[in-house]
Amino acid sequence: MSTQITWKHLALWALFLGGMALLPMLVGKGTLRTIIFANYLAIFAMSWDVLSGRTGYISFGHPFLIGIGAYTTAILSYRFDVPVGISIPVAVIVTMAAGTLFFLPALRIKGTYFALVTLAFMELMYQLVQVIRPDLTGGTRGISGVQTLTRGAVNGYYLSLALMGVIAISLWAMMKTRLGTALSAIGMNEEAVEGSGLNTTKLKLFAFMVGAGVAGIGGAFYVHYLGSIAPRALFDINFLFTIIVAALIGGASTIIGPMAGAFFLTFLLEYLRPFLPGAERYFIYGSIALILYMYEPKGLYEILRKARERLTGANA
Amino acid sequence: MTRILTKGLCSAAMAGLLSAGAATAEVKVGFIGSLSSDTGRSTLRGAQIAIDELNANGGVMGGQQITLIEADTGEDVTEGIKAYEYLAETAEVDFIISGSIDDVSLGWLPRMQEYQIPTLDTWTSYIGIIDMVVEDPEGMAPYFMNIASDEALATLYINFGADVLKAKMGWDSVVILAEDTAFGQAITGLVTEALAPVAGIEVKDTIIYDIGTVDFAPIFSKAQATGADFIYQVSSVNSQVISSQYVKLQVPMAMTGVNVSALGMEYWEDTGGAGGGISTLSPIPSVGFKLDPASQAFVDTYQAKYDTRPVIPHFNGFNAYHGLKQAMAAADEAGGFKDAMAWSKAMEKQDLILEMDGKMWLRYGFWGADEVEEVTQRTYPHNARFDLTSPYEDAQPSMVVIQWTEDGDVGVVYPPEYATMEFSVPSWVK
Repeated sequence: MSTQITWKHLALWALFLGGMALLPMLVGKGTLRTIIFANYLAIFAMSWDVLSGRTGYISFGHPFLIGIGAYTTAILSYRFDVPVGISIPVAVIVTMAAGTLFFLPALRIKGTYFALVTLAFMELMYQLVQVIRPDLTGGTRGISGVQTLTRGAVNGYYLSLALMGVIAISLWAMMKTRLGTALSAIGMNEEAVEGSGLNTTKLKLFAFMVGAGVAGIGGAFYVHYLGSIAPRALFDINFLFTIIVAALIGGASTIIGPMAGAFFLTFLLEYLRPFLPGAERYFIYGSIALILYMYEPKGLYEILRKARERLTGANA
Repeated sequence: MTRILTKGLCSAAMAGLLSAGAATAEVKVGFIGSLSSDTGRSTLRGAQIAIDELNANGGVMGGQQITLIEADTGEDVTEGIKAYEYLAETAEVDFIISGSIDDVSLGWLPRMQEYQIPTLDTWTSYIGIIDMVVEDPEGMAPYFMNIASDEALATLYINFGADVLKAKMGWDSVVILAEDTAFGQAITGLVTEALAPVAGIEVKDTIIYDIGTVDFAPIFSKAQATGADFIYQVSSVNSQVISSQYVKLQVPMAMTGVNVSALGMEYWEDTGGAGGGISTLSPIPSVGFKLDPASQAFVDTYQAKYDTRPVIPHFNGFNAYHGLKQAMAAADEAGGFKDAMAWSKAMEKQDLILEMDGKMWLRYGFWGADEVEEVTQRTYPHNARFDLTSPYEDAQPSMVVIQWTEDGDVGVVYPPEYATMEFSVPSWVK
């Protein structure tokens, strides 16, 4: 473990997760359902951030990876009665293998071209699941009645919180190591990292595998929470943008940022529902996201960090 | 005296509290569907009209007023799940009426099974959902679908091919023009594997086109080159484009098929008045369908209240209107919605027969769990009652075929018992 990790950090994590664990006693089930979606979005945003926020290889195909994880476990458990204790790990492994597919273009291209190729991955998968073996995938309508791991808002909440907590702390700890520093350095100047003697290909492959693994875990548990799966729900441009916006609004290249962004966006949309039940919600959501991003491109994390600096500076 | 006064005041206060309680008691109905599509709005408005009428007549279940709470799905599967959760756990509704499309309904169905909230689907017709009722009658007990399933719709549609396209028109061969969508593939499969073989029609070719196609001239030329007797068009996206170009180019071949845009009255405006000759299957009641007095009164109210799109409620507007009233009647009988099983049993017994000229015209009822339909030889529990055999004395047919004329009228051309006009080819087709 790096010396950068202190007991103060661990105490803050414990405080955060402990506080979250008390929420079912304080808020209603409707709010818990909203937090469950926020937790899963946080997982997806964190996995995107490992892959894109750190290395600078902007992926527009992240739902491809999430979808592979979700479809693999859904098909195995629903069609072949494979226990979820087996189908979920298999789904994660398959997603990590798919992550290497994602990695191949990164060996030759970057920037806009890489983003477009990954977008093509998502579109390709959207088309394929509808026509290749619809008897397995359920075609356009997908599969309804996938086994759920929990029943009720409280149980679903604790499962999603535990999952998000473990992933967040693991990624945070990883990013505190020299490996994490190297990954962030790739995003800043890949040539410089290469010039320093590090093997950037291996580093990028590692980042892609970790990002894919987290996406696979999130996708697999997500489908077993929803109880249904459909191509339009996963291989969808809106889903992709929600993930990216959550990471960017919260603060890319951090762990807290994507989590904060996911919570902010999910709650914003759900709390607007009673007042603006229609599509107007998305206009407000888009406007707020745009203003926030224009005000502080580094996201909520940076706004909070600066606020803390001002406060501590004032105290000093 | 003081005791009497105190007792009187207490009684008055008690009575006041009770009456206040009765005044605030309400039945909460949740709407789940897209608020920005004609489909969703038809269900929403049909439900709203039913609620207005029930409230104006003193409410339901001992005078309780009904309130409607909307949850938008945006026709997005995940948003549909969130919307169902919102209705169940935040708004805590008693009953849900849905104008959701297939995959959105399939998305929130596990939540319906979990919450056991009485739910009525008015648009989705996917037979797979009825199969879920067959396989899990207890978990799916609160679910009802008051539109004939797509399987029943397709079964009767095959008869149209045999009775009209082959027998009446004498057509022996067809070329299929299908859009490149899952819907296009599904209907193409239905035509090639069922309709054409049963009717004895040869499929000369299948031409798949992109949904972004704006110039259909080369496609129509290719279709003509096959030498087929007619074109079978399958279009659910931008269907008005292929229709209007068919008319403007005066393609010298007859064209029928499935055209989703032609299901609504706005079709004529959307094609710029160039939509004549197009025919399509439609669930009931369709545009051009003769309406019984009760359904006509509903349409009149609808059009007076909402003078915007949709011009006429799609079939799901009728389904929502009648279905919501049936759901409330079932709740009255079951003592509310809380006991989902009791409500389900009461809902199964709902049977509204609407007559036209002394004859059964429309029937809003449901198939019993053990009732076997004689043509398909299967059961359809909790699905809208329909009839697949002429003269349709048990219920209305599962679908009709409608056709637009060159002067902008629309009518039913099949089955004959419900027809308002004859199936014909456009004037430029020899």
